[in-house]
Amino acid sequence: MLKLAAQRLVALVPLLFIVSLLTFSITDLLPGNPAELIVGDDATQEQVDLVHERLGLDQPWPQRYWDWLTNALGGDLGTSFFNSVEVTDAVLLRLPVTLSLTLAAVVVALFIGIGAGLIAALRPGGWTDRAATAGATVGQALPNFWLALILAVVFAVKIRWFPATGYTPLTESPGAWLRSITLPAIALGVGAAAILARQTRSAMVGVLQTDYVRAARAQGLSARRVVLKHALKNAMLPVVTVLAFQVTVLLGGAIIVEQVFAVNGLGSLAVTAVRRQDVPLVQGVVIISVIVVVLVQLATDLLYGYLNPKARPS
Amino acid sequence: MTLVSPDSGPGAPPASRPGAGAASDLLGSRQRFARRFFAKRAVIPASLIVLAVLVAGIFAPWLAPYDPLDQSLLDTMQGPSWEHWLGTDDLGRDVLSRLIFGARIVLIAVAQAMTVAVVIGVPIGLFIGYMGGWWDRIVMRVVEAVISVPGIMVVIVIITVLGTGLTKAMIALGLLFSTAFLRLARGLVIAEREELYVRAARVVGAGTGRIVRKQILPNIAAPLIVQFTLTTAAVLLAEAGLSFLGLAVQPPDASWGTMLTTASRFINLHPWLALPPGIAIALVVLAVNLLGDAIRDSIGRGVGETATLRPAARDFSAAGTGADGAPASQRERTGVPSDAALVISSLDVQFPSPRGVPLTVVSDVSLHVRPGETLGLVGESGCGKSVTAMAVLGLVPEPGAATAEAILVGGQDVAAMSRRDLQHIRGTQAAAIFQDPTTSLNPAFRIGDQLSEILRIKRGMTRKASRRRAVELLEMVGIPDAAARARAFPHELSGGMAQRVAIARALSCEPKLLIADEPTTALDVTVQAEVLALLRDLQRELGMGMLFITHDLAVVADICDRAAVMYAGEIVEEAEVTELFANPRHPYTEGLLGAVPQAAHRGTALRAIPGVVPQPGEWPTGCRFAPRCPYSTTQCTAAPVEIDVQHAHQARCVRAAELTLDGAE
Repeated sequence: MLKLAAQRLVALVPLLFIVSLLTFSITDLLPGNPAELIVGDDATQEQVDLVHERLGLDQPWPQRYWDWLTNALGGDLGTSFFNSVEVTDAVLLRLPVTLSLTLAAVVVALFIGIGAGLIAALRPGGWTDRAATAGATVGQALPNFWLALILAVVFAVKIRWFPATGYTPLTESPGAWLRSITLPAIALGVGAAAILARQTRSAMVGVLQTDYVRAARAQGLSARRVVLKHALKNAMLPVVTVLAFQVTVLLGGAIIVEQVFAVNGLGSLAVTAVRRQDVPLVQGVVIISVIVVVLVQLATDLLYGYLNPKARPS
Repeated sequence: MTLVSPDSGPGAPPASRPGAGAASDLLGSRQRFARRFFAKRAVIPASLIVLAVLVAGIFAPWLAPYDPLDQSLLDTMQGPSWEHWLGTDDLGRDVLSRLIFGARIVLIAVAQAMTVAVVIGVPIGLFIGYMGGWWDRIVMRVVEAVISVPGIMVVIVIITVLGTGLTKAMIALGLLFSTAFLRLARGLVIAEREELYVRAARVVGAGTGRIVRKQILPNIAAPLIVQFTLTTAAVLLAEAGLSFLGLAVQPPDASWGTMLTTASRFINLHPWLALPPGIAIALVVLAVNLLGDAIRDSIGRGVGETATLRPAARDFSAAGTGADGAPASQRERTGVPSDAALVISSLDVQFPSPRGVPLTVVSDVSLHVRPGETLGLVGESGCGKSVTAMAVLGLVPEPGAATAEAILVGGQDVAAMSRRDLQHIRGTQAAAIFQDPTTSLNPAFRIGDQLSEILRIKRGMTRKASRRRAVELLEMVGIPDAAARARAFPHELSGGMAQRVAIARALSCEPKLLIADEPTTALDVTVQAEVLALLRDLQRELGMGMLFITHDLAVVADICDRAAVMYAGEIVEEAEVTELFANPRHPYTEGLLGAVPQAAHRGTALRAIPGVVPQPGEWPTGCRFAPRCPYSTTQCTAAPVEIDVQHAHQARCVRAAELTLDGAE
């Protein structure tokens, strides 16, 4: 397992390098001079030049990239264009909020998705199968932010089970955290649940027809045991691959759902940054998100290796 | 659901190779496509919804009752009324009119994003797929990097550069989704290139342009259409989301996303506002997804997963065996000992058929196996021998159903048993090994664990004891270095070793009966002999009965004491092996013996039985072998033929007494 982890980690280095390169080049792709953007319309040329120099824009490109990269590796992602906020601080302040929402949504997706897919697969063509498939088809079509609105109206405004807005950190009060995260997590997780359900169903239907499932039954193991242990571990292989991708999607989706519930995560930070073309902040959000995604991929690779012995390096 | 991700389309068609020739299927048989496409129930309503959006978008100024931007501060936040069918918003604007003009935004957004995605993705994909080498490597690295970032981040970066607005946001989306088309086109070209090497089209002198035109474009059309449809749905959701965030369509312009922004601000007091745009988005995305699925299922061999149901799922919710009355009226049979390891009397297995009449695949099969004896069950594939064996364990594949006067395993009637008792019998009284040992072991678990699990559950052993016993069992079946090998996974074993493990597992609870379903067919000849020798030794040691299913008469001669020959769902002959080989009484047996290479005389041609085994449901009324039988007369086809149970050497042939058939030397 350690060997597998090391292999995957090494493979991720070029990926991070390319992402950093692409993200860094935003500054140079901006139409016009970022310095002018910062100082505003009625600034003098001297002020513009001053900012230009302060941003290091007079340096050659490779030099600037090198400086930026070395700083970033040291944990310094620069300062916002518009105030003196350190990007790293700002992003890390919001990250736990978005992460906990994303993780909660993953839990919702796994729970609903695998459960529904499993039930559907036990009787292909039966009513549970048809219901689950129909549910998945609809679930895939619902915009998450609209679902968020509807859930908020029903469960927060009409019947006041959950708060309509806001976020309580886990460290402050676990109970309040759970209440504040439930509706956003469901709104966010339903789409991924639909995809996981489809995937689980088709994988499970296939696995239940394999020789080793028949052999396990012939050996007198109970249907429950064969399905939940022998078949499920194999059926989870394609599901894990899809899940890795869905975590990425959910992390992105969290940005929108956060807006509906007025949760101050990466979402509002990112949206404000984009609208003001606050390049360092955008870069910071992207880089940190990519690191999260990369770690998730690493984790799923290891999970895949656990589920599929053939994928382990010998 | 998912916002902005190149692969978030339902089913996410992988960029892997799509079946070559999918397009020629599409183009060559449009009718068949149309028939399959419109046969799907959802297609017509889905098409109507898409059509409605097209009409609403194109003719919005004529269809909308009001100007979507017309404010009327006296009529704000009204519910549905005769004047305003869907009510008005916070500025008194007509919701229906805004919804209709929103459809126009949908069309513009899809057109812009999809154009960018296809125009950038497809040519680059074709190019790098065709060129390969460094071009391919560098571009794919960048694509992988883009894909690994949450889609919305990519879009945010691009919008940071380009600025906000519908067209700019759609260019950003188009760039993002171009990666999906790029990978698809690249995968198709690479697949096609492989085939080109085989066909050596280049040697013949076909130019690059010609190859792209003649070979690649026709094959790419079908998967591209599917990808296009599924991406459209993703673009729709993404546009709504971006407009909702205020990054695409800007207020006061009417788009479904911005309408939801407004709705979200007044959601506490006027939740009604959220319904029309939300339902509109969901319906259109649903319709487009359904169309995409329908197109894929109709043409898309190799594109994405086909979610059609496979009928033969095995028994997981009901026992496959149904008891048919009491087992009392057992027919009088010669030589059925009271201590038999297995007795099957009058087994029928039926499957429901689409036409309503159940399809019989096994009819009136009776046989028995004594302790320590091996009975061969011989026949061509599809004759019902495996289904017969599965009926013994109550594991006839669903939706099949087995009925029998009795199936006695160690004296207990399996046919009349509850599911719980049946489960107890399996493994402890009767166990099975199967044809392909590499697939009958679970690839995800260590072999030692697969053995010890059964020992723990079936024999109540402790974890430690079961582990020790598992290693002993592996030693018993001749696995070298068993203690270390117990930690191996099935894929680390050879076929012969895997079959030994399967045998160890089957024998772990010392069953009275071992069902061996073609256990050597998938093995090399030398390994075959070893496994047969092992089975023979173990049988002698444990004194168990064995039901040995095979189509290989040489194996029957090698290991069986008696043999029953099956043809078209019934037993046609049964005798001691030496007797059966020397003096066959059924013409089918004679045919089988004549088709064995060793049996054929030097210099004479190997005889094959003419014709094929009739399918279940197409069995002739009289003797089922008659149409292929060289000796058949009119009396053969007149009425069903009974097997002559009074003989020690039974045969199901009306002319058995008069014919003298050739045996094997």
